[in-house]
Amino acid sequence: MKEYNIEVLKDAAKRLLFDMSESEYETLLSEFDIVTKQMSIIGSNNEIEKYEPMAFPFECTTSYLREDVPEEPLSREEALRNSKRKIGGQIKLPKVVQ
Amino acid sequence: MYEGKSILELHELLVAKKVTPLDLVKDAIEAAKKDDNNAFEYIMESEAIEIASSLGEVEENNPLWGIPFVIKDNMSTKDVPTTGSSNVLNGYIPVFDATVVEKLKAAKAVPIGKSTLDELAMGGTGTSGHLGMTYNPYDKSHTRLVGGSSCGSAAVTAAGIVPFALASDTGDSTRKPASFAGLVGFKPTWGRFSRYGLFPFAPSLDTVGIFTRNVEDCAIVSEVLSGRDERDSTSSTKPVERYFQEMKKPCVSKKIAVIKEIVEAIKDKEVLEAFNKTITGFKARGYIISEVSVSVELLSSLFPTYFVISCAEATSNNANMDGIKFGPLSSGATFEDVVTEARTKGFSELIKRRFVIGSFALMKENQNELFVRAQKNRRRIVETINNILMDNDFIYLPAAPSIAPKLGEASDRLSDEYLIADNHLVLGNFAGLPSITLPIGFEDGMPFGANLMGRAFEETELFKVSYDLEQITGLANVYAEGGTK
Repeated sequence: MKEYNIEVLKDAAKRLLFDMSESEYETLLSEFDIVTKQMSIIGSNNEIEKYEPMAFPFECTTSYLREDVPEEPLSREEALRNSKRKIGGQIKLPKVVQ
Repeated sequence: MYEGKSILELHELLVAKKVTPLDLVKDAIEAAKKDDNNAFEYIMESEAIEIASSLGEVEENNPLWGIPFVIKDNMSTKDVPTTGSSNVLNGYIPVFDATVVEKLKAAKAVPIGKSTLDELAMGGTGTSGHLGMTYNPYDKSHTRLVGGSSCGSAAVTAAGIVPFALASDTGDSTRKPASFAGLVGFKPTWGRFSRYGLFPFAPSLDTVGIFTRNVEDCAIVSEVLSGRDERDSTSSTKPVERYFQEMKKPCVSKKIAVIKEIVEAIKDKEVLEAFNKTITGFKARGYIISEVSVSVELLSSLFPTYFVISCAEATSNNANMDGIKFGPLSSGATFEDVVTEARTKGFSELIKRRFVIGSFALMKENQNELFVRAQKNRRRIVETINNILMDNDFIYLPAAPSIAPKLGEASDRLSDEYLIADNHLVLGNFAGLPSITLPIGFEDGMPFGANLMGRAFEETELFKVSYDLEQITGLANVYAEGGTK
């Protein structure tokens, strides 16, 4: 497992696109100490490796296609309602390509 | 005036025309306005009055007709603010109703408000929502928590403001607060209720939940919420049973397992005494109680397994809270600036910590050792539980190690009491099993509960045994009288 320290945690936060204060990183570091101790309970048991990872409690598949029923789409007003910046009936977004 | 009445009691009054839906709604809204437990995000006064005024003739065979209820604020409500108790969603007004809300409205129940929660349902104390702490209605001094994450829904039901409320449950977010607030708290089999419109926290574990003050009411609401929803591909196509009609028939499933090591991790004598009394009561009703053993090592791994899986799933599920798709759009110069500002200002410290832990578990260097290992351990846990349920019909345990803790009381997060007694309800989420908490006693005026878990999609049998437990304890319809000062 990758070693954790304040710099690693800052890098993780940066990749998640948010920032935290220095004291918040200190709290997070202490939390990591506890979480890794808790995780060592799982890490100490080699028997676990015999098991397949479980992503969902049980198989729940939809094996048919739903009927193709036409529906009224959202009105333009409704679609734009939660947007704070609109121009010409469209949502204005920040520039992605400089 | 109608405080503390059950769905069936209110239905009788409605059918006898001694009260109208509008009377009930106005009464509930008046009580909601006096709430001082910090249970509401938003009171739907005008919306509820409009719905209640338009209901027409009473429907004798529809017990939900005209009944007021409350919705946890992590479920979409059309034209009604929905924040998930997070600043990142302040001002967000959905354009559609969650399926469970839609179904209750179609049954002519009347939503009167949106309730507080731990931010984005990540938390178990009811203290991390953007409006601050939510208090336990049984403790007028406001020193005890009500539990979370469904804190507001628990508080309004325990205070008697409405007979039922919608909640959600990823680890124990309905069933633990039910224990602290003297309520019936139910999570169905994973896939039994649609989750369309429920903000996802950890979808492999999430379900919608219900708070009521008796088992009959819980069965009534569950029946309406169950069933396939084409908008949620994880919802089950299995036929829905008639829970309410069937629940008073004798329970044919009579074998109850008690996990010895979980009971041994509980130190509170009054909780143990009340629990043992209910065991005697079950035996007197013909149930066969078996003590089964699960290794302390496996039980101690429940919480870390949950924490890694849920944080990892949450990290990815909340990536859309970016100030563009959801959240406040800021004036940053670049895409990264805009997203970083929205997420830095919008999320609380606790949420950010969970996201970093989830992200750490998913890093390429750590994934096998943390996330995949937790998923493998999940299967080991689920196989153990399902093996117990091959020989037994139910698993029965105290729902929490004590009454509601005092605010700020810290637990030793490496102790057996914390890792096992305080967190075992997650078994129901790992295995996707139906699970229900009921009150079984009081200590210092504060309630505590026990939990029953059944086999997947066997909700009817679970309601039957729960109804028997309710007869044993005599604790149906308890609430904190004057729960709002």
